[in-house]
Amino acid sequence: MIDLFSDLFNDYTLRTVALGSALLGITAGSLGGFALLRRQSLLGDAISHAALPGIAIAFLITGSKAPLVLILGAGIAGWIGAALISIVTTRTRIKYDSALGIMLSVFFGFGLVLLTYIQRQPDANQAGLNSFLFGQAAALVEQDVFVIFVIGTLVLLFMMVFWKEFKLLSFDSDFIGTLGFPVRLLDHLLTTLFVIAIVIGLQTVGVVLMSAMIIAPGAAARQWTDRLGRMIILAGIFGAISGVGGAITSSLIPALPTGPTIVLIVSIIVMISLLFAPNRGLVFRKIRDWQAGKRLRVDAVLVDLYTLASQHASAEYPHSERVLDVMSTISGPARRTLKVLNDLELAKPIDSTHWSLTPEGVLRAERVIERQFGGGS
Amino acid sequence: MGINNKHAMDYAIDIRDLTVAYREKPVLWDVDLQVPPGVLIAIVGPNGAGKTTLIKSSLGLVKAAAGSVLIHGRPYSEQRANVAYVPQRGSVDWDFPTNVLDVVTMGLYGRLGWFKRPGKAERIEALKSLAQVGMEEFTTRQISQLSGGQQQRVFLARALVQDARVYFMDEPFQGVDAITERAIVDLLQDLRKQGKTVAVVHHDLQTVPEYFDHVMLLNVRRIASGPVEEVFTEENLRTTYGGRVAFVSALSAANRT
Repeated sequence: MIDLFSDLFNDYTLRTVALGSALLGITAGSLGGFALLRRQSLLGDAISHAALPGIAIAFLITGSKAPLVLILGAGIAGWIGAALISIVTTRTRIKYDSALGIMLSVFFGFGLVLLTYIQRQPDANQAGLNSFLFGQAAALVEQDVFVIFVIGTLVLLFMMVFWKEFKLLSFDSDFIGTLGFPVRLLDHLLTTLFVIAIVIGLQTVGVVLMSAMIIAPGAAARQWTDRLGRMIILAGIFGAISGVGGAITSSLIPALPTGPTIVLIVSIIVMISLLFAPNRGLVFRKIRDWQAGKRLRVDAVLVDLYTLASQHASAEYPHSERVLDVMSTISGPARRTLKVLNDLELAKPIDSTHWSLTPEGVLRAERVIERQFGGGS
Repeated sequence: MGINNKHAMDYAIDIRDLTVAYREKPVLWDVDLQVPPGVLIAIVGPNGAGKTTLIKSSLGLVKAAAGSVLIHGRPYSEQRANVAYVPQRGSVDWDFPTNVLDVVTMGLYGRLGWFKRPGKAERIEALKSLAQVGMEEFTTRQISQLSGGQQQRVFLARALVQDARVYFMDEPFQGVDAITERAIVDLLQDLRKQGKTVAVVHHDLQTVPEYFDHVMLLNVRRIASGPVEEVFTEENLRTTYGGRVAFVSALSAANRT
């Protein structure tokens, strides 16, 4: 099977595709990390959709499908889309989410109309523009990768040069304004880099699902670290992994569009991160909650036993499980917790339904009571 | 202009005819405020009175429709290095991936200028102001793990590290416990002792006479401003807070005792 594939595709194609998609994955992932922190993830979706008419118009004007021409068209349209969203939000009473939705659908609809018009043209040169919808990594040639490489490197360089400024802009834009930094200029610069990071991926990933390359790596990376630098690097790595994985898979399987494949891979990364990341992962949080709950139940039943014992002469006096069930306000049956207490040698069964405290249990119960009701630490 | 200018030199904060409007609705109307140097001034007024807007427009964050703001006699744009700002705690995302020391160091970004990264010297300065607010043990703590009072103190440390002459603080007592409030008040009074001027948006009218020298009563227009004993009167409070008379007179009765 694998031999068949390597026969079908020579190394050169695969290498080109892998390199190109790794680069766009890094760029989209790291800029997307900033967008995530600035709560602009959906802006990425709007920009990528808004880029479609730009691609079509660039082709209509120049008749060329050179990557630089189409990227430039996409970039200008995407940027206009982003600017319109910001203007509509500040100048009218339309809210940000509505403005996003409007721009996204208007630009995308217009782009589809233009694509249909181009396809109806008699000259056959239009083939390939359709791949911008869902992306086609297999169509990447060396020239495309070179353009992605140069532009992507420039974007990342700008991001590093303005690192400190972008960080403060994302955390506290009012404060950076009071320090004398031009907030709007920085905002435009970061948005422009964002637009560029998006449009260089459109041919490979497609306008419809490019937002996955923007949002998902950052969201996954945020789970693993509490440092901005590490988060952005990790987002770049996740972007590269899903980009390469998706591009190669779709290159190997004919007619499989790249965008959806990338989305599948990046979704797996996000899922793993949401579930298993230390500290922020759901599984670890559940385990911590469960341990805390167990400790709480143990203490509660222990105190209940102690309370009962204090009404009798001896701490060893056996008490029925039923009474403890009634007393327990935290959990249902006390039996499971009593077994834990037994394992800890804090309580022991007298017969099948009666329990009493051990001397250690008495001491521990007194400590718990002191901690909870006795004040002090 | 010459006379005006000379006059203005006497004030740490000199706001004249400041008018700000959001979509035709005036938020601040023709506001004047003169604060002499070395004074702790509370800015009080009901919700929507324009207290935050007054600070933000003084700092050029909100565009004023009219009016002028001078800091020690010169426009704010020339005085940035001498002004520090403590925004409302709720104005930022505390889940941002960064730690306490990092946030405090941000106060030095203005002095560093473009591109230059903070280094060891900045780290030391940041640690010093963290110690001033009693947060030196939290240096590497992720900011989402701070309590409200600790967040507030981190913001204060970020302003302290700016080593300014004039401080604008937006509700620094909001959501902090009594001990932290006391610590912040001590800090403010230290700043005043050093001859600095601090303008604080404040909500708790009861503590105004205890904490502050001056007070500004604001409700879109300036109702009154000046030394607390002169302007913090029942009549002025009534004008500022409108209908809530019972509450106001109970308060001023409490103040007289």
